[in-house]
Amino acid sequence: MSKYRYKLDRPLKILTICGVGMGSSLILRMTTETAVKELDIPAKVEHGVLTEAKAAGADVILAQPLHVEELKDAAPIVIGIKSFVNKEEIKEKLIEALKNAGWLEEA
Amino acid sequence: MLKPEAIKIDLEALDWKDAVRKIGDILVEIGAAEPRYIEAMIKTVQEMGPYIVITKGIALPHARPAEGAKKNALAIIKLKKPVEFGNPDNDPVDILIAFTAIDNKSHTKALSQLAKILMVQENIDKIRSASSPTEIYDIIKKALESIN
Repeated sequence: MSKYRYKLDRPLKILTICGVGMGSSLILRMTTETAVKELDIPAKVEHGVLTEAKAAGADVILAQPLHVEELKDAAPIVIGIKSFVNKEEIKEKLIEALKNAGWLEEA
Repeated sequence: MLKPEAIKIDLEALDWKDAVRKIGDILVEIGAAEPRYIEAMIKTVQEMGPYIVITKGIALPHARPAEGAKKNALAIIKLKKPVEFGNPDNDPVDILIAFTAIDNKSHTKALSQLAKILMVQENIDKIRSASSPTEIYDIIKKALESIN
């Protein structure tokens, strides 16, 4: 049972980003999919390249901290993730960002 | 995708470029990449920053299929002494896992399995403390069986 209530009426669009778009971002995507499943947040997670980020129209972008600055305007929420295989880090940061945006509240 | 001869441990590397070259040499040796793929992997790090260091101590060098990938493959090396890639959160790196993808689809399954293995910290710890290439090969094989 999740401790949080997701407040949007549609799945969250999450985009995971890396430089080349085939390797690292896919790994981040899989860890993210596990993380949102454990949080009970309905989400559509896709992965892509830095250069396509703006056009993707995502709600949340996850990328390495060193890319966050240049991704700032590409989505309402942009989060720097240090480890692409640590789902706890992703869960923690997602919860905080979504709560701040008013898209998630404590159940 | 992963063969025992594509795993080497106790390698010495002068710096991150040397490490990427050494693992690139393995990919060429096993017929998975053309020599130019090695320089492409180095260029990718130089252009995109050390984003390939995806978690503490582990780097995933790779380049685009069109840059000389000949078949899907994985190579793993463990360094005697870790090297700096310039990633402030996850340096220094002692484990490199390189891969070649001939197209998006065919590699997704292999990568997703790699992700599932690395998501379990215990697997990373076991790989790090392994004392032979066959040990690493067995760890990965066992981990793959448990997630399938």
